[in-house]
Amino acid sequence: MLIVIPELDEDQVGSTIGRFRTVIDRTGGEAGEPNHWGRRKLAYEIDHRTDGFYIVMEFTAGERTLVELKRILRVSDDVLRHTIVKLPPNYAHKPLPAETEEVPA
Amino acid sequence: MGRKRGGPPRGGRPVKSKPCVYCKEDVAYVDYKDYNVLRRFVSDRGKIRARRVTGLCPQHQREAARSIKRAREMALLPYVVGR
Repeated sequence: MLIVIPELDEDQVGSTIGRFRTVIDRTGGEAGEPNHWGRRKLAYEIDHRTDGFYIVMEFTAGERTLVELKRILRVSDDVLRHTIVKLPPNYAHKPLPAETEEVPA
Repeated sequence: MGRKRGGPPRGGRPVKSKPCVYCKEDVAYVDYKDYNVLRRFVSDRGKIRARRVTGLCPQHQREAARSIKRAREMALLPYVVGR
């Protein structure tokens, strides 16, 4: 899951996500379809911003994927926050109210 | 989970514990993205509630606590309310 800064428009958010998908694919992982939660309010201010675009995406990782992906997420100015979570094997892929899953994120 | 709470009940009948909601619904994974569900386990102030208040079993209380912390990181839940 990641939070992208609210200053961008939908297309720019899309291309930002595209960059990360490329990284995942290039390093031997497989990126799933990103799930856009859209623009939502943050529970607290981050860098004086009160909202952001939430995107959740599941992916599988190759050996180099995590190192690379984390590095790029960290240096991207567009990304406010990100979390990558390992999903349990029995993870139920049900869409949540207004959202979905991920491993990544 | 449906056992009675041990210990001498202070002033009254022993409290019968309700089964943990996650066990009851047979949830395999406590998801940090379910912030609306997790919200039930935090106080108005945003603090994580004690097990005796939430009624969760030890495993699920731990998992819920971890998920709440993850949700806080992603600004889905507040660290502090008010102030």
